[in-house]
Amino acid sequence: MESADSRLDTEILRHALRVAAEEASIVVVKSAHSAMIVEGSDACAGILDRDARLVALSTATNLMHASSLRCTLPAVIEDHPLASMQPGDVFVTNDCFRGGIHANDLLIFRPVFEDAEVAWFTGTLIHVADLGGASAGGIAPSATDVFAEGLQLPPVRLVAGGEPVRDVERILTLNSRTPARVMGDVQALVAGANVAAARMQELSERYGPEALRAAVDRYIEGVERRMRDELARLEPGVYTGEYRIDDDGLELERSPVVRVKVTVGDGRKADGSVHLDFGETDDQALGAINAGFSQALTGAIYSLRCFVDPSIPMNEGCYRPVRVSFRKGSLLDPHPPAACGGRVVAVTAACEAVLEALSHAHPQHASAASSVIHPYTLAGLAGADPWLLLSYDYGGVGARMGSDGPSATGAFFLGGRNVVPQVEPLEARLPIVVESQRLLADSGGAGRWRGGLGLETRIRLLDDTQVAVRNERVRFAPRGRQGGSDGLAGDQYALSEAGSRKPIPAKTDNHRLSRGDVFVLATSGGGGLGDPTERPAEEVGADVVEGYVSPECAERDYGVALNSDRSDVDAEASRQRRASR
Amino acid sequence: MSVVLGADIGGTFTDVVLSRADGSLHAVKQLSSPEAPERSVLDAVARALAESGVAASEVQRAVHGTTLATNAVIERKGARVAFLTTAGFGDLLRIGREARVEDERYDLHFRAPLPPLPRRQIFEVPERMSARGEVLRALEPDRVRGLCDAVAAIEPEAVAICLLHAYANPAHEDLLLELLSQRMPEVTLVASSRVHPEIREFDRATTTLFTAEVAPLMSRYLTRLARGLAELGIHAPLQIMDSSGGVMAAAAAAARAVATLESGGAAGVMAAARFARPYDFRRVISFDMGGTTAKAGVIHDGSPRIARELHVGGRGSFGGRRAGTGLPVKTATIDLAEVGAGGGSIAWLDPEGILRVGPQSAGSDPGPACYGLGGELPTVTDANLVLGYLDPLRFAGDTLKLDAAAAHAAIEEHVARPLGVDVQRAAWSIHDGVNAQMASAIHVVTVQRGLDPREHALIAFGGAGPMHAVGVATRFGIASLLAPPMAGVASAIGMQDTDLRAEHGRSVNLTEADLDTATLQPLFAEIEAAAREKMGLDSKGSPPKVERLLDARHEGQSHALSIPLTSLAAADLERVVADFRAAYRAAYGVISEGAVEFSACRVLLRVPVERPAFATLAPATGDVEPARRGKRQARFGPEPADAFETDIFSRGDLREGDRLPGPAVIDGTVETVVVPPGWQARVDEIGSILISRST
Repeated sequence: MESADSRLDTEILRHALRVAAEEASIVVVKSAHSAMIVEGSDACAGILDRDARLVALSTATNLMHASSLRCTLPAVIEDHPLASMQPGDVFVTNDCFRGGIHANDLLIFRPVFEDAEVAWFTGTLIHVADLGGASAGGIAPSATDVFAEGLQLPPVRLVAGGEPVRDVERILTLNSRTPARVMGDVQALVAGANVAAARMQELSERYGPEALRAAVDRYIEGVERRMRDELARLEPGVYTGEYRIDDDGLELERSPVVRVKVTVGDGRKADGSVHLDFGETDDQALGAINAGFSQALTGAIYSLRCFVDPSIPMNEGCYRPVRVSFRKGSLLDPHPPAACGGRVVAVTAACEAVLEALSHAHPQHASAASSVIHPYTLAGLAGADPWLLLSYDYGGVGARMGSDGPSATGAFFLGGRNVVPQVEPLEARLPIVVESQRLLADSGGAGRWRGGLGLETRIRLLDDTQVAVRNERVRFAPRGRQGGSDGLAGDQYALSEAGSRKPIPAKTDNHRLSRGDVFVLATSGGGGLGDPTERPAEEVGADVVEGYVSPECAERDYGVALNSDRSDVDAEASRQRRASR
Repeated sequence: MSVVLGADIGGTFTDVVLSRADGSLHAVKQLSSPEAPERSVLDAVARALAESGVAASEVQRAVHGTTLATNAVIERKGARVAFLTTAGFGDLLRIGREARVEDERYDLHFRAPLPPLPRRQIFEVPERMSARGEVLRALEPDRVRGLCDAVAAIEPEAVAICLLHAYANPAHEDLLLELLSQRMPEVTLVASSRVHPEIREFDRATTTLFTAEVAPLMSRYLTRLARGLAELGIHAPLQIMDSSGGVMAAAAAAARAVATLESGGAAGVMAAARFARPYDFRRVISFDMGGTTAKAGVIHDGSPRIARELHVGGRGSFGGRRAGTGLPVKTATIDLAEVGAGGGSIAWLDPEGILRVGPQSAGSDPGPACYGLGGELPTVTDANLVLGYLDPLRFAGDTLKLDAAAAHAAIEEHVARPLGVDVQRAAWSIHDGVNAQMASAIHVVTVQRGLDPREHALIAFGGAGPMHAVGVATRFGIASLLAPPMAGVASAIGMQDTDLRAEHGRSVNLTEADLDTATLQPLFAEIEAAAREKMGLDSKGSPPKVERLLDARHEGQSHALSIPLTSLAAADLERVVADFRAAYRAAYGVISEGAVEFSACRVLLRVPVERPAFATLAPATGDVEPARRGKRQARFGPEPADAFETDIFSRGDLREGDRLPGPAVIDGTVETVVVPPGWQARVDEIGSILISRST
């Protein structure tokens, strides 16, 4: 039994590690330059050890990048053996086949030295402003290989012994449509890694290198033990799930499917291990909806973690009890040089598949399908001062057993809506006017538990603009389950000044709109769960009063009639209507 | 002789302190009257005047800390508000910006928070400004009249107006204010461009909304309070404590009601900072335990950390201060953590038979069983009485006589008998159980921020703080504790020590080329005028110290660093960019290059108050007998062997330098200091009691 004092030391140290990662992520956001990051999105930051084990991860909101620092560091060490590293070095890479994500997601690593040897690494990661490729801002929907997605960077030094490597900076600058911003973002990443490195140095001095290392080992082992204990409580068995993707934007006749087989324990007895086998997933796509292995792993681990104690900290111990298999050449873990920018499409499908599989084992966690992230880019590149907005919006979350789906917010690892920029700062820096932002009535799938609502945003363009969209769940709406209806599919189009509708393909880039056009993005609504006629009439009535459900939909889908001024439920008429169904 | 009055309303007690110029204090505790909060204040003031012999006309300044706004916002009992915003954005508040943080990120069943207003109270206004403040769609008065009728039809008590880019051009908000005030002159109108003229519509909207919900209540309340004070003969300026450790004139408080959301906690932290000042504690934990809540804050090098926003209903391990959780209110706030437990917390057994303490509180009505006011359930105070810490005949400034038999009976019936233990043992468990909750507040502000609580001194106050302090400190290995004089009313003392303070900022869009005196002078003059209004300053009285800040960042960045301006003279303005680059380097460890832009101008006003020194005690004689009031059995642990014959001392009779070995109980008029075995107490010059381990 540890003494009270050493227990306190352990706890302070663990929090200090998390705070170091947290502080790094805050510094990155505060000093970054690209509009998406500074006005909303969060940064990922982590502490790792010399063996590339994840020690602590920032805990702000988004978990989309959770595995990537951990998966990429071995590539850095492979190309730059520890003995070759110098204090003050900073490395950068984005290779999605060695743990990276896609061109614009730069991963930065800084070694932390103890007695002239590398002991720790600090890492930071954000989506930087433009880094070349077919689409301004990156994630080109038209890309058919990684080379069309932007500049490819193997692990290279960005800073050597404290001195910026100007040659690398020049390469980055020349490959960017917004050179000043991209360098600002890179500086922000370095600033974050520096701050975390200083904190690690302080901890090492305070506790002593040996004690710090021992404490980190115990931390990782403790997390592994907690994870195994939790996994041992899952219902043993073999479960399958799958989810169908709209398409890759290029081969529109092909709608690939992500499939998973989840084996809890050995299939008969729970033993604290789980195997997620995505081997039956369809082949990789031509278009950019594939996911590099680190992103696929993020989705797999994330969905599994939804079924264990959420307070388990994120570090290497979370990964150890879980085996995740991908088939090389499939949507998850494709062969080079597959395009991977739109990997969220494949990764969220993987999440839906795992949730479906595990809901067979744990029906109390059954859920309908959710909308995904709807990223879009607006860019004006013709003028002397090119401008660029890469932003995104969220739709409805699927209904869950026991609760309605939240509206217009991130599902899964995407975090809450606070990462979406507010309107005023966007208008202050870009030639756009957001004309409206409304929840879409009736977009949530009907059910005993209603799906969350999608959101419509209308943006008037004050400059000739190139638009890129990467929409998913616009052909196949988020699926309802157990008698619940599907949500409403998303949509994207433009309105000319005269008011005529100009269609925009769901996955496209360099789509030209004119000054004065209005770009409209409608995110999809979440699926409903359970029979809508079992939803209590007063809940349907409240939805009508709040404008979440129209009176017509209340009658048609829910069998609930409203009184004449639509302010309340007509209980008798509703009873008769439902009885006659 | 000049006297300053401090009045602090808590969930159980209302504290009033009169401070004379010679440093002597007179304190009164009065049970709070939540239905009419001014009543307990006025009763306590009347008592304090009568007991102390201070004439009402001697009171030169009255400072008040109120939980009115806090209760209204947290319990959603504010005024009924109509919310007006730009056409197209009626869903702004309903869409929300809720973050999912920490554990919630894995919660498949996470629920969206309820929208702060139902849809029928939200109205869209046909108008639009650009980010530069140009009119894109004019607000036509004729079209607004119909809107005014619709707003009037829901019979609001207040109207909150937040139009897009109103920080850049308030003309449309001004026009709405004018038209609405004609249509409904009796209704409180709040415009975002007055309350918080800064960019980011959601943050501005929630700040405006909460202001509107609280303003009418605050206005009515302060009118009643001022009238009552006048009836007592007190005509001194009334000042209201804010959340940042400053005060404002009462006349300004309705329009700035959200600035009082954490006023009680802020006053406590200010008190802790003041009493810690004579010592060389570099790091201090302020620990304030009252009847219904406890608050912990951290003070490093004399200054509490101040944030520019707080989150109503916020969540996460940082004491509910995670950005994106809850609803943002843009107001300067001292960083603290709060737990809903205190002396009035009720002890109960859950269905599994586990002893729990709180979150239900007996409050002031019916109060703990020992108050004899009708409460029958055992509370922490009942346990402290049974443990021998409290003197039944001298409690809370003699407000009440405690009924020891009632405390005993309540604990026996509801805790001891069902658990099969004796009453003493049960009382210890209740005491220790609430210590664990106190520790969790301290945990939030230290351990969870990676700070080592053992490097801090604990300043314990509030009616129950010094009774629980050692038990709480022991959990962390904290070695030094301080119980200030009149610790039971320390917040009411702390608020007397605060300057008049106000901050006002406005979003701007300036480049390095704009940094000239001619551009900045009128801009800062306008902002300063707004700050003076916020503070409630008239032209009389001493002029405020003016601090001007420019928010600076690299072109394209969003987050800025506030750079202080020495003056608006050309030579000082020339230094701003260099100052920014130095600050940037210090904050982020990277070299600042490229163009700099300026996103906001801020003015901080401060009128320093005179701080009377505390009265000093006579020096020790080496003999503590004159202060001894006898002995009592007191229990300091779970076992019968933890009971000791304990010396009881009267705090008022102690002298500077007196040393008291534990176990000892020191009775103050408004608090009790418990020194367990193995600890010792020393009295300092002003009567603070320093507690440390026996050597």
